[in-house]
Amino acid sequence: MSEVKKRGKMLNATNKLKNEMGRHFLAIEQAYRDGKPTAWATAGTPVEFLYAMNVQPMLPENSATISAALKKSQDFIELAEEEGFSYDLCSYFKTNVGAVLSNADMSLGGTRKPTFMLSSDVICDTHVNWFQVQAERFNVPHFTIDVPHVVSNTNNRQRDYFKKYIKEQLWELLDFITEVTGNEFNPERAKEVALNSYELGKVWQEVFELRKNIPCPVSTRDTFGGLFPLFTMTGLKSPIKLYKRMYREAKERVDNGIGALEQEDYRLLFEGIPFWYNLRFFSNLERWNAIIVYEPYVYAFTKYTNPNLTKKMVIDNPVESMAELVLSFWYIYDLKTRFEKFKETVRDWKIDGVLLHNNMSCRPNACGMYDLKRKLMEEADIPTLVIDSDMNDPRKMNETQVLNQIESFIEILRKRKKK
Amino acid sequence: MKKIAYFDASVETPEEIILAADMVPVRLFGNPTIGIDKANEHIPPTHCVWARNILEQAINGLGNDIKGMVCTHGCDCTNREFDIWLECVNLDFLFFLNAPLKRNEISLKFFIDDIKELILQLEESFKIKITTEKIQLAIKKMNQIRELLKEISELRVDMKLKGSEFHALVKEIQQSDKDKMIEKLKLKLIEIKERKPFSDENLKKILLTGSVIDDTEFIKFLENVGYQIISDDLCIGSKYFWSKVNENGDPIKALAEYHLNKPIYSTKFPSFERFETLKNLAQTYNVDGVINIAQKFCEPVLYGHPYFNKKFKELGIPYLFVEMEYNRESYKQLATRFEAFSEII
Repeated sequence: MSEVKKRGKMLNATNKLKNEMGRHFLAIEQAYRDGKPTAWATAGTPVEFLYAMNVQPMLPENSATISAALKKSQDFIELAEEEGFSYDLCSYFKTNVGAVLSNADMSLGGTRKPTFMLSSDVICDTHVNWFQVQAERFNVPHFTIDVPHVVSNTNNRQRDYFKKYIKEQLWELLDFITEVTGNEFNPERAKEVALNSYELGKVWQEVFELRKNIPCPVSTRDTFGGLFPLFTMTGLKSPIKLYKRMYREAKERVDNGIGALEQEDYRLLFEGIPFWYNLRFFSNLERWNAIIVYEPYVYAFTKYTNPNLTKKMVIDNPVESMAELVLSFWYIYDLKTRFEKFKETVRDWKIDGVLLHNNMSCRPNACGMYDLKRKLMEEADIPTLVIDSDMNDPRKMNETQVLNQIESFIEILRKRKKK
Repeated sequence: MKKIAYFDASVETPEEIILAADMVPVRLFGNPTIGIDKANEHIPPTHCVWARNILEQAINGLGNDIKGMVCTHGCDCTNREFDIWLECVNLDFLFFLNAPLKRNEISLKFFIDDIKELILQLEESFKIKITTEKIQLAIKKMNQIRELLKEISELRVDMKLKGSEFHALVKEIQQSDKDKMIEKLKLKLIEIKERKPFSDENLKKILLTGSVIDDTEFIKFLENVGYQIISDDLCIGSKYFWSKVNENGDPIKALAEYHLNKPIYSTKFPSFERFETLKNLAQTYNVDGVINIAQKFCEPVLYGHPYFNKKFKELGIPYLFVEMEYNRESYKQLATRFEAFSEII
């Protein structure tokens, strides 16, 4: 058996991710040394505009995942709870509150006082509430983008004025940044950043395309970790190189019929944010020769998933395109679109079963999950399992129970395959 | 008369549009005495219990006279729940109204666009015409209600009207024919004014805030503990009649302006501005304390609590925060906390 065919083989390129993360944190340090403006941004906001206006972004959500991976999130969460924040509130938020209260270093998930904060309700209200709490604590300006809620019966007429509303706010954001930092919006620089962002997203999508192959060349070991630049460095050149390297390596595996797993029997889809404090959990799937080949959460952040939006449009009109992108974001699909997208994905990625993470910290994502499950099972005959847990709070995960559920689920898949 | 229900965590649904469609707007409330088994098949049990409760009622059927439902942008739970309504609630007309998160000129324009879309869809669905004149008439009607309610609400301060009686009255208005309610309010105002004030010797004067508090029994429970709710910033309360809609000019714009100019809700941005409203109310009415109630899993209120706690402490105004389940058994379990607060203020 070749070296490559070891269980759960990670791409060599993914190991270079640490360098990219290091580059990001160094850039933050440098920004503070140089007196360059900095901004906290929530996922789903146009980080590209920050880069385009020479503002160094920091994403507390990603920092929170670092705390979790280092087994620090629970301590931070409990500190936030001591300050009065409920047990039931978002664990990313509370990790960040605790990290700030304890003045944690960036390497532990800490985030420093920024020049300003940028949030949006595109994913959740929590983002807006979170930055409101922290902007008040640090006494810094806070801009939020209101993204209208798209529902299953939203029509095209509505989409048009939704888009107009977002576009106007994006222009307003650019004025806000100028007012706070003195930095002007440079259209040429914005085009350059938009191109980098587009390429980053597209290369990542190509990696996902390769995962359609049997055996699948890339596992969650690469995707959950590899996600970091999509949030924090979208608009820069350096992560594109890393993703291209990941792509080349994955392609080589495909060409040689090599999978990320030694033996691939079951192909799964995992919806939701992973359990960052327990990523090794996903290795457990390997004991049943099961591999996750698609994660909508990860794919969503490739951003450029709207087929109506061309590369030319993205580069020529970065603001207009961003308004369109925000409205067609995988993670916030309405139930009807979400179901259709799941069916399509299951078909194209040859998926045997779907795991849905009922994340107690992400109610917008979890709401509708039971109906999604029912529809997938009853209308599309796709085996689906809901797992109850939390992305950053280890107190809310019962690993034994979840593993037992998955074992029974795999048994169902096994029986179906035998038929 | 046909009715249109509205599912609204705040009160930002322009009822005037429904009235101008010659239908009765009926606000949906929870019922803390029912089980929520069917809704729990759609929404995880760690989500807003109030929103699940209303879904349960909707699945069971809202009644033949309810011909449609408007869901108005509130929090993540109520917003996301709308798609589930589309899946499992038997109504032909379902509209999601995106009452904006922010308050500025851009959001005002957007809100106007969305109200116009609501009008268009009502017209298309029910084959009717909602004219400017009809909206103007509806605004006049609703303004009359707001004016009467404002006057009546002050009688809570004069200890002529119990907080629970007022709460029940506002609920009734939000679910009933407005013409009949105007007549009722006029008579009620005369009747209450003539009442002799009840003894307030042992009553603690409270400003009540928090999530949607729609069970009048809860207000009665607070009264039994020894409180009189003399002021509030609730949607079944002062937020429903804070000011009046401008009766001149474009009525749709006036409606959008009215809703965006009201004191902000916990579900909107920047919700911390609520503190200024609460502070002014607390000082104006010289309350003995502020009670902030969060229904279980009500995120907007849960996020705001530590800030309010800090700010009221700075002001030296006693403040009690209680997170509670949406059932009457839980009131009894919380009695000790309310009694203890009553003793310290």
